[in-house]
Amino acid sequence: MKTHWQILVVDDEEVMCESLAAWLREDGYAVDTAASGREAVEKARQKDYAIYFVDLKMPGGMDGIETMMQIRRVHPEASIIIITAYATVDTAITAMKEGAQEYIVKPCNPEEISLLVNRIIKVKNLQRENTILRKKLSRQYHFQDVISKNARMREILDLATEVASLRSTVLIQGESGTGKELVARAIHNSGDRASKPFVAVSCAALAETLLESELFGHEKGAFTGAAQQKAGKFEMADGGTIFLDEIGDISPKLQVDLLRVLQDRSFYRVGGSEEVRVDVRVVAATHVNLQQAVAESKFRDDLFYRLNVIEIRIPPLRERREDIPLLARHFIERLSHELGKDIGEISEGGIKILMDYNWPGNVRELENAVERAMVTCRGHELTEDDFSFLAQNQTASKAWVVPAGMTLQEMEKLLIASTVERVGGNIKEAAALLGIDRSTLYEKIKRYEIAR
Amino acid sequence: MKYLYVGATPEADPEALTAVRARVGSEFGAPVREVQLPGVEFAYDAGRNQYGSIPVLEMLSRRCPADALKLVAVTERDLFIPVLTFVFGHAQLGGRVAVISLARLRQEFYGLAPDREVFLERASKEALHETGHTFGLVHCPAERCAMSLATGIRHIDLKIAAFCPSCAARLKRGSRES
Repeated sequence: MKTHWQILVVDDEEVMCESLAAWLREDGYAVDTAASGREAVEKARQKDYAIYFVDLKMPGGMDGIETMMQIRRVHPEASIIIITAYATVDTAITAMKEGAQEYIVKPCNPEEISLLVNRIIKVKNLQRENTILRKKLSRQYHFQDVISKNARMREILDLATEVASLRSTVLIQGESGTGKELVARAIHNSGDRASKPFVAVSCAALAETLLESELFGHEKGAFTGAAQQKAGKFEMADGGTIFLDEIGDISPKLQVDLLRVLQDRSFYRVGGSEEVRVDVRVVAATHVNLQQAVAESKFRDDLFYRLNVIEIRIPPLRERREDIPLLARHFIERLSHELGKDIGEISEGGIKILMDYNWPGNVRELENAVERAMVTCRGHELTEDDFSFLAQNQTASKAWVVPAGMTLQEMEKLLIASTVERVGGNIKEAAALLGIDRSTLYEKIKRYEIAR
Repeated sequence: MKYLYVGATPEADPEALTAVRARVGSEFGAPVREVQLPGVEFAYDAGRNQYGSIPVLEMLSRRCPADALKLVAVTERDLFIPVLTFVFGHAQLGGRVAVISLARLRQEFYGLAPDREVFLERASKEALHETGHTFGLVHCPAERCAMSLATGIRHIDLKIAAFCPSCAARLKRGSRES
C-alpha cells in the first residue's frame, strides 16, 4: 500500500504545490503541502515523510537548500528532491552536495517523476522490511523471551544482561536442550555487538581438521580441495560474537589454537603465514563438566580458565519444574500459529503428565512433545490423552530390566544405536526422540562408532 | 436520478465523444447524458502553448449540472499542470469533475499514420481512468487495468478499457456507500 508513505510538497506557489500534491495523491500517496521552508521544517518535526519535494526558490529568507539542510537536521536519512524552474549547474551541484537525493527541473516529464518516486519508495520499502526482519530476529533471542519464573534462572538472566556489553568470554554449561544457544544469542543481541554478526559453530559436528579450517579458514592450496582462500568463522564474526558449541569435544591441538586466539585475538589461516587479527567476543558452551574434564586431563586447564571468565550454568528442566506449565503454554501459543491449529489451552491432566515426566532432553524435548501432541490433537485443548506417548515412554523405561554388569556408556550406546536404527538413520528424528541436539548425537555416534 | 455527463467542447471529435459516452455508460452502469461546454481558450498559457487543466476543472465545477453524478469533459487541447510537461487528463480525486485531452491520443502526434480505432480506444481508456479518479480510485499496480498510471502513450496502449476485479470491487463498494 502506497498510502503508508507520506510525501511533503514544499512550494510557495500554491498552484504548483497543489498540482503536484494532487498528481501524487492520484498515485495513491498521502501528501501534505507546505507554503514555506519554515512550515516544511515544522511539519517535518511532527512526522517523518518518505519523500520531500522542495522548491529551490522560496521567499522569506529560507530557500530550498536551507529548508533541506534544516529537514536533514531533524531526519538525517530524509529523501529530498529539489525542484526548480531555474536550473543552473551551480545550484544543482550545491543541492546534491548538501544531500539532495535528486534535482529536477520543472516542468518535468511525468515519466521521470513517476520513476523517481517509485525508485525511492522501493528503497524505503526494502529498508523497512529489513528493519522489521532485524527486529523480529533480535526479539526472538532477547532475555525477555527466555521463559522462566525459577529464581536460579532469573539470577542467570540478570548476570547475562550485566555482562552483555563486555568483551569477556562467557562459558555456558548445561545439559543438552536447556537453551545454551538461546542464552548466547540473547547475550549477543543485548550488547553493543548486536548489529554485528553472531556466528555459531558446533565443535562436535566436525572432524578435527575440518573444524580447524572451519574456525580459522584456509589459504589456497592449504590441502587437497582448497581451491581458493576461505575465511573462517572467526573472521566472519569479526566485530561480533562467535558461539562455540560443545567446546568440551575439541581436540588437544585445537585447544592450543583456541587458547592463542583467546589470549592474542589473532590466529593463522590453515596453510597461511600471515597473522589475522580479529575483534571477536567468544561465548562457549558445553554439556560436559569441564572442571571434571580438566581434572581428568582431557581439557587444558589454561584454556578452561580463559573460557570460564564468566560462568553461566543453566539448570536442567527437572530442577525448575515450575517453568513446565509456562513453557508448555508458550509453545502451544507459538505452534498454533505455525501449525495452523486452533489449540489454545492445555488441561490440568495434561499439565500433570508434563510435570511428572523427567525430561532428559530438557526444554527441547518438551517443545517436541508439545508439537507432537498438537499434531495429533483433534480438539481445542491438549489433554492427557494427547501426551499418552510420554506415559508409554516412562512405563517402557520402567519395565525395561537393565542387564547386570552393564556400564552407563554401554547403555547409552545401545539406546542410541537402537534409536538410530528404528528411524532408518535419520539423525534429526533420532535426536528429537532422544531429546538431544543433532551435534551431540553426531558426537556420540562418532565416539561409540555406531553404524548409521 | 443522477446522470454521468460527458461534456463536449466545441472542437472535440464527435466520434471520440460517442466512444467515450458508450464506454463510460457501460462501465459505470449509470445513465449517460451529453452537455455542450464552451471552449477552454481562457486556460491558454502562451509561454507553454498549452492549456492549464486546473482552470478547466474550476470551470467544470461551476458548470456541473445539478443532476450530475460526475461530469467528464473532452477537449482537443493539449493540457498541462504547472509541474509537469503535459497530462493526458485531470480529475478531482473523489470529486465531481474531470477532463481528458485528445491531443496526444492520435497516432499523428507521434509522427505515425492515422489509426481511428486506436485513437477511439485510447479516448475510452482515458475517460474511464479520469472518471475512476472522481470515484476515488487511485492508480492501480495492475498494468492492464484502466486505473494504472500512464505517463506515456505506450502505457495507455498496454491497458484495456476496463477495470481490474480489485478496482471494480472498490468502485462497487464506493458507489454503495455514496
